[in-house]
Amino acid sequence: MKQSQLVRQLKSLRELEPSDNWVSFTKERIFAGEPEPMGLRSGLLSFFPLFRYKLALAPIISVLVLIGLFGFTQQTLPGDFLFSVKKMTESAQVTFSSSAEKPETQLKLANKRLEELSRIAESNQVGNLDPAIKEFQSNIAQATKDLAAINVTSSDPLMIKGLLAETKKMTENKERVESVLGAIIGDTGELDNAILQIERQTAAYLITDLEKRTLQESDLQLLNQARDDYNAGNYATSLEKIWILSNK
Amino acid sequence: MANIRKEFTKVYDKYVKKIYRFVLLKVNSAEIAEDLTSEVFMRGWQSFKGQGPDKIDNLQAFLYQIARNLLADHYRQETKAQLVSVEYAPLLPDARQDLEEMSFIQSDMERVKAALVNINDDYREVIVWYYLDELKVPEIAKILDKSEPTVRVLIHRALHALKEELK
Repeated sequence: MKQSQLVRQLKSLRELEPSDNWVSFTKERIFAGEPEPMGLRSGLLSFFPLFRYKLALAPIISVLVLIGLFGFTQQTLPGDFLFSVKKMTESAQVTFSSSAEKPETQLKLANKRLEELSRIAESNQVGNLDPAIKEFQSNIAQATKDLAAINVTSSDPLMIKGLLAETKKMTENKERVESVLGAIIGDTGELDNAILQIERQTAAYLITDLEKRTLQESDLQLLNQARDDYNAGNYATSLEKIWILSNK
Repeated sequence: MANIRKEFTKVYDKYVKKIYRFVLLKVNSAEIAEDLTSEVFMRGWQSFKGQGPDKIDNLQAFLYQIARNLLADHYRQETKAQLVSVEYAPLLPDARQDLEEMSFIQSDMERVKAALVNINDDYREVIVWYYLDELKVPEIAKILDKSEPTVRVLIHRALHALKEELK
């Protein structure tokens, strides 16, 4: 047999083909269990589960980002880029406080500003100094305003006690910061006056209240001393004695 | 996933007949050829899907390689089965006997087909690739991982062996 003849015979073997049915059946079998390719319609529909998945993920990521951001902003100082975020959380804190709690919240914030001023002084971040002082003064002004609105007779004495303790702490902190900075960081005259008025009103109210009670001899003596202090204008000292009597 | 599936569908449509023929000319049974060809594409699809189409250098060579491996496995298993059940096994049809029977039919195609089954695997493979599938020598060299001159020599010897088988 000639080579050309053999090659021709070989080429005739190209007629050997599988049946069309088998070809299409096998193709289907290969892809069985695989997801169908997306047409326009199915593609659009299948977008929704993905969309839902992303929707579910988005709030989780947002919350995590917010928590991270919140944690980070707590370390910022007045004058820093993200301090406004920190201030926003503080404003929300004040907004959600009751009117009776607002002065104490403001005083706590003023104390926070004093702590920040300490950090600024320690790290010599001169750029943050002026904004921090302004923030402190703003908190003090707001605290003074809120204190003036307090009605001592309808307030909880314990809240008043906490308020005065916060004021005392703030005054001490302010003196410490001023000594470090070598400068006065704000006039607290109005705040002192407001506190003095509260001390006076609270002492007067509680003395009247205690006078209505039956007291032991020693307590009666302490009440008399408190009254003397009150009459002498030493309202804070008077209140210290009144707190002792009130706790009995 | 949809794009990969679409791509593999194209691959399937392009090569299924060639692979089927390649397998059939070895096993000489349409049923076995269908089973093995479908297995070639099953494995091909798994690799295609797993590795990605970009990782497979030459799809044609890749599919032929799977087919060769499957054929080797098939004959290994068949040999084992014969060893185990030789006493009870029915007499296996002898390809040479088939060739003699087919000579009565005088069909050129059947004669060549039967002769191809009987020659050396390497010879049959290069004949199928070169004369039936019209693969170029470099393509065959790539599938066999041999040099082009070696493949040319192999084709020449394969044709000679086929001629001898047909005598």
